[in-house]
Amino acid sequence: MKSNDVFGLIFSNSCEDTLTELTAHRTTASVPIGGKYRMIDFVLSNLANSNVNNVGIIAKSGFMSLMDHIGSGSAWDLSKKRSGITILPPYAGVNFSNKIETLYQLRGYFEDIEEDYILLSESNNIFNVDFTELFYLHSVNEADITLVYKNMLVPEKFIPMTISHDNVGKVEKVLIQPNVKGKCNLYLGSLILKKELFLELINKAIAENELDFDRLIQKWVDEYDVYAYECPSTCAVISSMNEYYKFNMELMNEELRDELFKADRPILTKVRDDAPCKYGLTSSVKNSLVSQGCFIEGEVENCVISKGVHIAKGAKVSNCIIMQDSEIDSNCNLNYLIIDKDVKITSGKSMAGADSYPIHIEKKSVI
Amino acid sequence: MIPKQKVVAMVLAGGQGSRLGVLTKKLAKPAVPFGGKYRIIDFPLSNCVNSGIEAVGILTQYQPLVLNEYIGNGQPWDLDGMHSGANCLSPYEAKGGKEWYTGTANAIYQNISYIDRYNPDYVLILSGDHIYKMDYNDMLEFHKKNNAACTIAAIDVPKEEASRFGILNTNKDGSIYEFDEKPEHPKSTNASMGIYIFSWKELRKYLKEDAEDPDSSNDFGKNVLPAMLDAGERMFAYPFEGYWKDVGTIDSLWEANMDLLDPNVGLDLNNVYSRNPMMPPHYIADGVTIQNSLIADGCNVYGDLEFSILFAGVKIGKGATINSSIIMPGAVIEDGATVEFAIVAENAVIGKNAKVGANPSEVKNRDDWGVTVIGDNLKIGDNVVVPPKAMIDKDMEV
Repeated sequence: MKSNDVFGLIFSNSCEDTLTELTAHRTTASVPIGGKYRMIDFVLSNLANSNVNNVGIIAKSGFMSLMDHIGSGSAWDLSKKRSGITILPPYAGVNFSNKIETLYQLRGYFEDIEEDYILLSESNNIFNVDFTELFYLHSVNEADITLVYKNMLVPEKFIPMTISHDNVGKVEKVLIQPNVKGKCNLYLGSLILKKELFLELINKAIAENELDFDRLIQKWVDEYDVYAYECPSTCAVISSMNEYYKFNMELMNEELRDELFKADRPILTKVRDDAPCKYGLTSSVKNSLVSQGCFIEGEVENCVISKGVHIAKGAKVSNCIIMQDSEIDSNCNLNYLIIDKDVKITSGKSMAGADSYPIHIEKKSVI
Repeated sequence: MIPKQKVVAMVLAGGQGSRLGVLTKKLAKPAVPFGGKYRIIDFPLSNCVNSGIEAVGILTQYQPLVLNEYIGNGQPWDLDGMHSGANCLSPYEAKGGKEWYTGTANAIYQNISYIDRYNPDYVLILSGDHIYKMDYNDMLEFHKKNNAACTIAAIDVPKEEASRFGILNTNKDGSIYEFDEKPEHPKSTNASMGIYIFSWKELRKYLKEDAEDPDSSNDFGKNVLPAMLDAGERMFAYPFEGYWKDVGTIDSLWEANMDLLDPNVGLDLNNVYSRNPMMPPHYIADGVTIQNSLIADGCNVYGDLEFSILFAGVKIGKGATINSSIIMPGAVIEDGATVEFAIVAENAVIGKNAKVGANPSEVKNRDDWGVTVIGDNLKIGDNVVVPPKAMIDKDMEV
């Protein structure tokens, strides 16, 4: 099985109910993360770096920012004659209320694609993986379906599905929302199967009115040869505001950055032609990640700062995530905030959240 | 048939830039990294695009690999149109024989057919090694208004520096009556910036004549422009005000970079396009001091920085100190090293506690001081001291 025989299908609205404010106006896929990225960049780059040439992104709502981010797909080298990214939004009279119905409504599209396999993925997994190993194992195992999992702690507000498998990787049991303590084999929402089987399973589910995707996976384990593949990279699942905050702060760790942002498998994103970040004479920066296009004149500590942010002289910003083009005026004192895009905080303001409860400042707010 | 372009730009990018020494050992001068994420040629290319010029020929000859790869299909500058865009033009073999570009005018002459394809009214000749931002439309309007055959952009330079430039002596109306190439006693401070607009019909004629002259060195400044002036063509100097710097020497390259850190210098980097590094944001560790510096994506900074520029993917180790220096992509400055008034080229490694360059105040005789340059991919061993003004082209150990 070759990589270019796999079609990548990404759900853009993963965990959107529990990401609350961050997904109020945008899909999970286009939530800014790690200073210069959007959530979907990770899975999309993994697919592109694994030579998957065609990718579909299922968009349910709030996908303007997603469409803007994806553009032609050229940032991922997916805008060629033989490759491309297609955004699949709801269309007239069609209900994208759950996964099965959504996939069923798009069956005409899937019937037309040339690839023989489909790899389904969520958009909120932060990892760097070469999928060709998964493709190889799927064919060597002669599996009908291969599920991707990671042995990890259950993220906050995440409804876990756990996988147990035998010593050759054949799945024995899938449990939904079991009572787990400590690490478990957490299903990451990625699975690969033949397109024909995929269409057959979806049709059958609709015919039998079984619309719960997770319960269906449980059923398939009994009926088909289902294998498990453990994601070899570190993986974060961004399922809540706290998980979002925690992951951004973990990026201060150089080893984690080296693991996620590899020179030979880069995480690609839409770029702006920002100048390098400029530090003024009065700047003081400690333990922070800062993107290009910023102008830092104030004090910054333990922050992740996206492109085009200005922090004025005398401002003190600690433990914050600041998204692109926001402005912090002089003598502000900010602590534990998630400051969305294009926010302006005028001079002299003091605001604080807490480590366990970072406060989100809405996009385009003027304070 | 290719649609007509009103203006075709030709960027002279074939020069070796020998005065940049090790920095241009494996790449042409226009490909030298500049300003934290750019290469010099980004400036003329961005100026073209921002002026609405869509057809840009880039004349390459010396070490063209890096430059050709960088330009690619021209997409980062929006120069990837269906019938226009950026094209690297190298010397080629033809039926009549083969020839290198023997001079600036000859490079254009050999590409007359490239220009003719677009059937342009005007041709803009640019250098690939100047740092400036300019709207060429203003100059073109000036050219048209004067009904000129040739317009040369000119900048007012300090009197004591005028003898380093080609000086344009003009009448009151801006028309040129004399070229003075690097004059000992300059009559004016009106220096040519090496930016020319020609009416293509006229230039085409003079290029052909120049090519037939066996005594010509096929150079714009030395041959073609004087020939046009002698023939009584209308030639004008277009006064340009703003930042402009020829970065042909180590000192001027270093100065132009430092100018980016000076809030009083009118050079900003808005709308300058380039290829972008695919790296995460840069990281600044706890307990370090960063003052008045530019830092690109992908850097890891564990040491102190002042008045310096870090390109993408640079690593500064713990306790290292960088002052008034330019650290090019992928270079590593190991723990405890000191780099002052230096240019460290791509992927060079400066070992632990090494000392590269010196502050002018530390040097007794001012003539012994200069910017230190470390060539690309070199390893400077632990504790090595590299003196000021040195140009290093091989690995060093204690």
